[in-house]
Amino acid sequence: MTSVAHPAGRRLASFAVASEPGNERIALARVAEAVAGCGLTGARLERLKTAVAEATMNAIEHGNRNQPGIPVDVEVTQDGADIIVAITDRGGEHAAPGTTGPGITGPGITGPGITGPGITGAGPGGPAAEPDLELKLAGQQPPRGWGLFLIRNMVDAMQVSTDGPWHTIQLTMRTGAGAPEADLPGGGQ
Amino acid sequence: MNNKTCAATVHAVAGTAVIKLTGEVDGGAAGVLTAAYQQAVADGSAQTVLLDFARVGYINSTGIALIVSVLAQARAQRRKVVASGLSEHYREIFDITRLSDFIEVFGDLDTAMSQLARPA
Repeated sequence: MTSVAHPAGRRLASFAVASEPGNERIALARVAEAVAGCGLTGARLERLKTAVAEATMNAIEHGNRNQPGIPVDVEVTQDGADIIVAITDRGGEHAAPGTTGPGITGPGITGPGITGPGITGAGPGGPAAEPDLELKLAGQQPPRGWGLFLIRNMVDAMQVSTDGPWHTIQLTMRTGAGAPEADLPGGGQ
Repeated sequence: MNNKTCAATVHAVAGTAVIKLTGEVDGGAAGVLTAAYQQAVADGSAQTVLLDFARVGYINSTGIALIVSVLAQARAQRRKVVASGLSEHYREIFDITRLSDFIEVFGDLDTAMSQLARPA
């Protein structure tokens, strides 16, 4: 078992959505509303929205197996310059391949409590294959399988944990001076 | 949750089949996109299939997979796929997934059509 440090800082929102396809759009909208005014704008806000939608969709489909009575919990906090979104399902016993293991991190910045050996955490089915478009076009990989890849590439850091039945993906975006260049005024545009 | 259902219109212009998409390109778009592609290439004259996303507000990972499927089918039939009207965010996703290595992306439909009309 691994654990993600419960985010400290100011709670911006805490809510649940039913595990029904499409409800990732509710999560996306509510997270966007919660982080308004936190300094995350433009392209990086769009990135967080996409990551939240994909993570919630995974939680609904793979974690909670589309059972409407089982909620997906979403918590949004601000810890200094970090905006942290934690999305929890009840799929700890059957997490999707590649979404479990210690310290699965995204590209770039890692913050306090966001460390680990890389993105190849071994799930029940072994490490998830990295999506490769050429292999997909050649029929050697299925067309699907972009969700986790998109999440990793959208946020500054990603950490996944399981605790018994609970399976949490934690997404971190930095704001202000700690943000990657693209988030700064005039940068990356 | 009421999503904006994907819809498509298809028309042909000088060897290019234009598929104009509206709404959301997600899992619910599978039937629409498949039917639109089949309609676009039905008479065999289209050498290029243009996907216009100008009125698409949302594309998720399942939608990306659908686009990959269309691209795979087109390549197998030796057809070119191009795109127009993507927002900056979805252009970035096309870059990250490398779709833009295989699908030329134009800013808007008019630009795409004028470029495609130029002699090779």
